Amino acid sequence: MAPGEKIKAKIKKNLPVRGPQAPTIKELMRWYCLNTNTHGCRRIVVSRGRLRRLLWILFTLTAVALIFWQCALLVASFYTVSVSIKVHFQKLDFPAVTICNINPYKYSVVRDLLADLEQETRVALKTLYGFPENTSRRRREAESWNSDGPKFLRLVPLMAFSQDETGEVRDFLTGRKRKFSGRIVHKASDAMHVHGSKEVVGFRLCSNDTSHCALYNFSSGINAIQEWYKLHYMNIMAQVPLEKKINMSYSAEELLVTCLFDGVSCDARNFTLFHHPMYGNCYTFNNRENETILSTSMGGSEYGLQVILNLNEEEYNPFLVSSSGAKVIVHRQDEYPFIEDVGTEIEPAMATSIGMHLTESFKLSEPYSQCTEDGSDVPISNIYNASYSLQICLHSCFQTKMVEKCGCAQYSQPLPPAANYCNYQQHPNWMYCYYELHQAFVREELGCQAVCREACSFKEWTLTTSLAQWPSVVSEKWLLPVLTWDQGQQIKKKLNKTDLAKLLIFYKDLNQRSIMESPANSIEMLLSNFGGQLGLWMSCSVVCVIEIIEVFFIDSFSIIARHQWQKAKEWWARRHAPPGPQGQDNPGLDIDDDLPTFTSALRLPPAPGTQVPGTPPPRYNTLRLERAFSDQLSDTQIPAES
Amino acid sequence: METPAEGDSGSQGGATACTATAGGSLTVHEDQRPPPALQEDRQREGLVELHTSFRELLTFFCTNATIHGAIRLVCSSQSRVRTASWGLLVAGALGVLYWQFGLLFAEYWRYPVVATVSVHSEPKLFPAVTLCDMNPHRPRSARHHLQVLDEFAQENIQSLYKFNFSKNRDVLSAADQLPQPAFYLDRGVRLQRLSRPGGQNKVGFRLCNSTGGDCLCRASTSAVTAAREWYCFHYVNVLALMPTAHEDSHRSDRGHFVLSCQFDGQDCQARHFRTFHHPTYGSCYTFDGVSAAQHQGVTRGISLVLRAEQRHHLPLLSTEAGARVMIHGHDHTPFLEHQGFSIRPGTETTIGIREDEVRRLGNPYSHCSEGADGVDVPLLYNASYTLQACLVSCFQQLMVETCSCGYFFYPLPSGAEYCSSARHPAWGHCFYRLSRDLGTHRLPCSSRCPRPCRESSYKLSAGTSRWPSSKSADWILAALGKHGHRSLGQTPGLRSSVAKVNIFYQELNYRRVDETPVYSVPQLLSAMGSLWSLWFGSSVLSVLELLELLLDALALVVLRGCRWLHTAQGSQLGAATGATPTIPGTEQLPTDRRNINHLGGPAGLVPRNPSRSSGQSLC
Repeated sequence: MAPGEKIKAKIKKNLPVRGPQAPTIKELMRWYCLNTNTHGCRRIVVSRGRLRRLLWILFTLTAVALIFWQCALLVASFYTVSVSIKVHFQKLDFPAVTICNINPYKYSVVRDLLADLEQETRVALKTLYGFPENTSRRRREAESWNSDGPKFLRLVPLMAFSQDETGEVRDFLTGRKRKFSGRIVHKASDAMHVHGSKEVVGFRLCSNDTSHCALYNFSSGINAIQEWYKLHYMNIMAQVPLEKKINMSYSAEELLVTCLFDGVSCDARNFTLFHHPMYGNCYTFNNRENETILSTSMGGSEYGLQVILNLNEEEYNPFLVSSSGAKVIVHRQDEYPFIEDVGTEIEPAMATSIGMHLTESFKLSEPYSQCTEDGSDVPISNIYNASYSLQICLHSCFQTKMVEKCGCAQYSQPLPPAANYCNYQQHPNWMYCYYELHQAFVREELGCQAVCREACSFKEWTLTTSLAQWPSVVSEKWLLPVLTWDQGQQIKKKLNKTDLAKLLIFYKDLNQRSIMESPANSIEMLLSNFGGQLGLWMSCSVVCVIEIIEVFFIDSFSIIARHQWQKAKEWWARRHAPPGPQGQDNPGLDIDDDLPTFTSALRLPPAPGTQVPGTPPPRYNTLRLERAFSDQLSDTQIPAES
Repeated sequence: METPAEGDSGSQGGATACTATAGGSLTVHEDQRPPPALQEDRQREGLVELHTSFRELLTFFCTNATIHGAIRLVCSSQSRVRTASWGLLVAGALGVLYWQFGLLFAEYWRYPVVATVSVHSEPKLFPAVTLCDMNPHRPRSARHHLQVLDEFAQENIQSLYKFNFSKNRDVLSAADQLPQPAFYLDRGVRLQRLSRPGGQNKVGFRLCNSTGGDCLCRASTSAVTAAREWYCFHYVNVLALMPTAHEDSHRSDRGHFVLSCQFDGQDCQARHFRTFHHPTYGSCYTFDGVSAAQHQGVTRGISLVLRAEQRHHLPLLSTEAGARVMIHGHDHTPFLEHQGFSIRPGTETTIGIREDEVRRLGNPYSHCSEGADGVDVPLLYNASYTLQACLVSCFQQLMVETCSCGYFFYPLPSGAEYCSSARHPAWGHCFYRLSRDLGTHRLPCSSRCPRPCRESSYKLSAGTSRWPSSKSADWILAALGKHGHRSLGQTPGLRSSVAKVNIFYQELNYRRVDETPVYSVPQLLSAMGSLWSLWFGSSVLSVLELLELLLDALALVVLRGCRWLHTAQGSQLGAATGATPTIPGTEQLPTDRRNINHLGGPAGLVPRNPSRSSGQSLC
């Protein structure tokens, strides 16, 4: 107890006055510089010579500036990510595979709906290219022509006009030439002259009051006619109810002749129907609700999905689709298949092998990047019944804008709530509106691209396709009859080689590549880097930072406050007792008011001729040191003296 | 304690006042004078003040030094064991520190980089697409020569296989006869069977150098490849003689290859197309829609209808039917012989592009080039820098240096001419030798051509469908026939003479591989600071303190030296005059010093008499 008391007393005795007891800010600074552990400060006070002092001030400030600069650099690079790529070897889930025939509906079934349109297209082709028709059909056309007249060509007239004089337009229907003074959207003048002919084909779209017209022309007649046909086709199909459309399209039994997955036979029941407006009935493999996702245990073409498709080229719509084949898209189970955008085509009379390689990407969301986890924070409502993706967002955004501006929805995308597909019975001039809006969308004027953000995690399957002639000349002799017999229940005709396509989809290997982002810097790393910087330049630590805050802010303010208080008191006293300043002169009063200074605290005799706090308090830890030096110095001096 | 304080305070100026006040209250107790002296001194402080003695210097340093360990070592020597142990500790810590620094810097100076893969989704520019019709045609001016060559080829093949292939349809008409330049067909280079004992039967041709001493065989087991290569060799010989073969050749067939072109649903603009003629790939078109940003999906890409007729002007040179497509970066020279893929006629080929971008950091992290400026190989192509262009330029330059003529398929450097047997009889030998050296990396080209710092690679995946379908073929061919050639649309069997190509971006996001340095400068400094704090507990400012100590000591030594010289002279003088100026009284010292201090600057340094005794004792 007693030694403890002693030590306490000693410490009390040796302890310097605390900062706020210093009378002025200058003294406080001096006290701080002498006592702090931060390098540099002490030298400012201790050094002799103005130049030396100045240099030390400069050095210290430079070190402080460097600390701040480097730390700012560290903070700036804090939100960086490091990426790790992992390759797993595991049993992989087989993705959903959606297969569509390129042709949406059986032409023999939809023909009644499209008969008028077909007639007029043929007429246009005839006038344009002198395209020969078979005579029986022409007679029928001529009859119907007389009955109700060409309504499609009148609604959106196809026109041919010469390259040189863009004002001069030749109408197909009448053959008359007339002036056209609308806006030409696809500038024909600087379009590429890919043909010898100077004639360009296009069509005109007008807004409601028919004062604003735009002429869409194409240097190639194929594109013009297909585009024109597609417009009218969408108009007609928009009025057909979904049930009827599904019935008009191919059934799963018709499309899929054989199916084999992982060496086990499968059939139409393993596929779910997915109706796409432009591709008709599509069938998705491995997407059954309430069923486990299939997976493959082995890589290689033997263990994937093998299907033979019956494309039935006879039923193709000649104007809507110009190629024959099927489209395949590999996607996640909860992902919407954008068959028109990213599908892979397969060719009839060919065996197409598609090898897949899975890559998963995981990004870090805010604040590392702008991606969104599930799309809930994107102000666009998802009109698709599928999980969020950038593509879905863009399409939803466009469709919503379309409903806003044109009053109806575009045919090839799903319907937003409380909207109808456009058709010209209800919205006579939607086409002009759509084309205008689409142009604005492409020019990014609708703001969709700015609002939509990418998804944070996505899977992608890199596909490698290879082709082989199938069936071979030798095998086709037995293969075709067998397949025809298999299909016997559905179709009554012999299968043709060009109607069939074989498709193999498989994992090339069971390696799954995951690209994962992780924060490159953690808080600990940042702090340790900060510590490094502080240590390098000034040997500073968190304690010294606290010290700085204490001295420079709290203590300085308390000193200033004290000075102000004293001044105020003086002023108050002078004002209230102007004639007799008796109490003012009492020194004891002052001392009582003031906090104890160094000398008064240590009860030192006041230094002669100086003001009370002339000397700064000594640093307690140097006391021992000083004693040690004196010993040492006397040691060294003794031989010198002797 | 007393002795040094006394000794110093005897000569007390402001100098030790600082030490005193800082040192502790004890000094203050004993010496009542310092506070006034201090204040006075503060007012009259000189610009630079030097310590009066080494002892004072050391005391000052020991009191104020901030380096851990050093104080214990230098300033407290209570016992030798302790000093020694502290010395060992400090030395050990220093050693470890510098070892660690060494490791750190060795790592830093290797400039290691980490490749980071990141996924971005900013829109990118659509790449350039080059399409070639694979139908090289005969330059009008070289008709006659090629005719002679064809006859020679026929003769060769007949002698080898006893096969008589039908005469070429391009019969030379008399009207086409132009003034022909001198022509020389090197009939010594023939197709022949080259059989080695015990080896396979090979077909090839033999090339010798000018003396005929060194010969080289280009042989292959397949006569088809051998014949093609042999024909190509002679074809180059012929074309190299034509001065304007490059310019006039593609004029005739322009516009008949691309039948329709749409980009992003609109017609392609003529200004986005460039045409050129490739000697083996025929007419080529480059679509370079510079302003067009990327959008995803088939409908937003480029869609072309191509004419893929098999009109072989040079049956031995072009054996494929269809079109050749290459996707490359903007303003890059397409090297169709190195990259590119072929399109089958009668199909619609849909090609999805995925882009990968690689960015390298450049000096000093990796060897790469920002542009053509930093490379010591002058680029022969008027396009942006690519590795392939650099390699070709380098090869051509070496070719001109060693064979004294340039290879016909590559552009010429200024002042050189193309190789032809007529002018350079042994160029074939030289060329094949050189290209073999290039293939085996024996030429300096691979080291002289760095990779570009920013590179895009395009990954393609293709799908095909039949086009046009049997139902739509009639009207499509009719529509094409109206615009294109009549012959195209008339017979429906000619579906195999057209092909459709769609090229589109498969994904909106692309991958970017960035190189990032493992150690950035702030991180390096942090690591240094951590090590320093850990092992030595000092900072940059402590080093400055040490430096100050050294400078002070140096100044003191110089001063002592000066004064010693001065006193040596003075003692001689004093001996002569009998005066004793060497030891001045202690009382007059402070005033003396202050007077000097007023001067400031180096002049104030000169006489520091009072501490001489102690200084001498230290010295």
